[in-house]
Amino acid sequence: MKALLQVEHLKKYFKTPKGTLHAVDDVSFSINQGEILGVVGESGCGKSTLGRTILHLTEATAGKIIFDDEDITVVKGRHLKELRRQMQMIFQDPYASLDPRKSVRETVEEPLNLYHLYPNRVERAAYVDKLMDTVGLTQRMGTCYPHELDGGRRQRAGIARALALNPRFIVCDEPVSALDVSIQAQILNLMQDLQEERGLTYLFITHDLSVVKHLATHILVMYLGHVVEYAQADELFENPLHPYTQALLSAVPVADIHAQRNRILLQGELSSPIDPKPGCRFAVRCLQSKETCFGNSPILREVRPEHFVSCGSCV
Amino acid sequence: MEHLLEVHDLTIHFFLKSGTVKAVNDVSFSLGAGETLGLVGETGAGKTTTALGIMGLVQCPPGKVLDGEILFNGKNLRTMDSKELRTIRGNQISMIFQDPMTSLNPIDTIGDQIAEVIRLHSDASSEEIRKKAEEMLELVGIDKTRYCDYPHQFSGGMKQRVVIAIALACNPKLLIADEPTTALDVTIQAQVLDLMNDLKKKFNTSMILITHDLGVVAEVCDKVAIMYSGEIVESGSLEQVFDHPLHPYTQGLFSSIPSLTRKVHRLTPIKGMMPDPICLPEGCKFAERCPKASPACSQTPPVYEIEPAHCVRCTLYKTDAEEKSK
Repeated sequence: MKALLQVEHLKKYFKTPKGTLHAVDDVSFSINQGEILGVVGESGCGKSTLGRTILHLTEATAGKIIFDDEDITVVKGRHLKELRRQMQMIFQDPYASLDPRKSVRETVEEPLNLYHLYPNRVERAAYVDKLMDTVGLTQRMGTCYPHELDGGRRQRAGIARALALNPRFIVCDEPVSALDVSIQAQILNLMQDLQEERGLTYLFITHDLSVVKHLATHILVMYLGHVVEYAQADELFENPLHPYTQALLSAVPVADIHAQRNRILLQGELSSPIDPKPGCRFAVRCLQSKETCFGNSPILREVRPEHFVSCGSCV
Repeated sequence: MEHLLEVHDLTIHFFLKSGTVKAVNDVSFSLGAGETLGLVGETGAGKTTTALGIMGLVQCPPGKVLDGEILFNGKNLRTMDSKELRTIRGNQISMIFQDPMTSLNPIDTIGDQIAEVIRLHSDASSEEIRKKAEEMLELVGIDKTRYCDYPHQFSGGMKQRVVIAIALACNPKLLIADEPTTALDVTIQAQVLDLMNDLKKKFNTSMILITHDLGVVAEVCDKVAIMYSGEIVESGSLEQVFDHPLHPYTQGLFSSIPSLTRKVHRLTPIKGMMPDPICLPEGCKFAERCPKASPACSQTPPVYEIEPAHCVRCTLYKTDAEEKSK
C-alpha cells in the first residue's frame, strides 16, 4: 500500500522567554490511504502541535512532510490553498471553533465560497443539504447559530465543514473529548461511517486510549515531543513495550469491575519541555530506568515487525 | 447500619425568566460511614446541584430547595440556621470542586488557604495551625517547603492535591468530590484516585463521588446512583449496577463507552439527547430516547426495589416487583 502522508524527523520548536520549547522533537511516521493513526499522549506532549504542523497551521522548524509523494514542507500561497483542499481539520472544542456569527449553513458553505465551488446557487444549496444530511443535521438546523446548538450538534457542524471540500486526509484533534459519553458514541460512529464510506485517512489525536483502541488502525504514543512507541493498534494493546505505554494503559479506569489489572502508578509529573536535557525524557518517572537512560537519548528501533519502541532499558 | 447521611425526596428548582428549571426531582439516597457513593450522569443531569443542595450552597434566588430532608447524623440540615450550618460545612462535610484551577484563591499562598479552614473550625494556636497545614500538604504528597507558594506555581494535578488537602484538613466525616479528576491527565488521575482511596481508608471518611466516568466509579465506589434529568433512575451496589444494569439508560451508558478490554466494531449510542430541563416531558423522562419505551411510560414510574438495595425507576420492572412483593 502506498503511504499518503510521510513525516520525517519533524521538529517544531517555540522560542519562549525561558528558552526553546521542544514541542515536537524528531517525529517520523507514515500513514497509508484509508488508515487511522491514533496519536496518544498526555497534555503538553506535543500531539496537537504535531497535527497543526502537518497542516501548516504553524511552520515546521525542521524535517520533512510528504503528502501524496510531494514534499510539502515549504509550500506557500496558492499552492498551500490548493493543498488544504486535500487536508482538513476537526477541532477539539466545538464551542470555540465555529464562528458565532455564522449560521450552520453559512459555516458549511464558507469553504465552497473560498474555493469557488458550485457557483450555481441551487446546486450549492443542494450540496450543503446533502452534507448536513450526511453528518446527521436536519434542514431546520441550517439557520441555527452555534449558541443554539448543543455540543454534539456543533461538532457535527464542524465535521460537515471539514468534509465540504471532499478532503482525503483529516486531522481530528480531540473531536469527542468535550462531549458526554452517549453523544461521544454518536460522533465516533459518524466518523467511522464517513471514514469507511469515503476511504478517508485520519490522524486522530486524543488522550483517551479507549477511543483510539476502538477506532485506530495504528497508534503513536508521544511523551514530551518524542515518539516513544509506534505499532499497529492490536499489537500495541496486546504487547505494550515501552514503560510509559504500559503505565498509560494501566492508568485508564475501566468500567468493568471484574477486570484483572496490575496498576503501574507513575510518580511525579511531566518535566518541562523547555531546553530538555539529553537522555530519555521519561527516565525521571520511569520505574525501569537505568543510569544509561539519563545520558543517552534512545532512538526509535523496530523490535518486532512493525513495532517501534524508543527505550534504552526495556528491549 | 446507622446511616451517616440520608437524603429524602430532595427537590431543587431554579426559577428563571425563561421558565422553571427542574434540576433535581425527588432524589433520595443514603450513605453509611466509610462508604463511597458514585453519583453518575451526563452534563445537566443534576449531579452537582444535588451536591450543592446537601451543602446548603444552592444560590437563592434563582435556585430554591423546594422539598426534602437531608439528615446528617440524624440532624436535618435543611432546618438548621446558617450559623449552625457553617460549623458543619468545611468541618464535618466538605467538598472538592471540579476545577482546581478556579477553586483556589490566586492571590493567597496555598499554605494559608489550608490554614484558613483549620483556623475557622478550631481554637488551635497559629503554630499548631501551621503545623497541621504542613502535615496536610505532606499527606497529599507535596513537600512542605512549598507552603508559601501560590497556586499558579503548581501544575493541575498538584493544585487538585491542594484542594483535597483543604477538604480533608478538618477530618470531615463526609466528603463530596465533584468530578475531582476530570481536568487531569490519566496518569495524574490515577495518582489522585489512589490518594483519595488511601485517605478514605485511613480516616474512614464517607464520600460522594460525582462523575460521568463509569471507569472511575468502578475503581473507587461501593455504591452507585445513576442520574438522568434530575432523577435517580437506578441505584444499588457497585456489583449490582455493573453486573446487572436494569434501567435502559444505564444499559445505554455501558454500551456507549468504547472498551479497552473488548473489541466491538461499532458502538451502540443512546439516540437523541437529554430533554431540556425547562420543559421536561410528562412521565418517564427517558422514554423518548428509550428503545424499550411503551405507552405505559407516559406515567411517571415509581421506584421498584428489585433486589435488596437495588432500585430502578422504570415501568419494565413492574411485574418483577409485584411478584416479589407476593
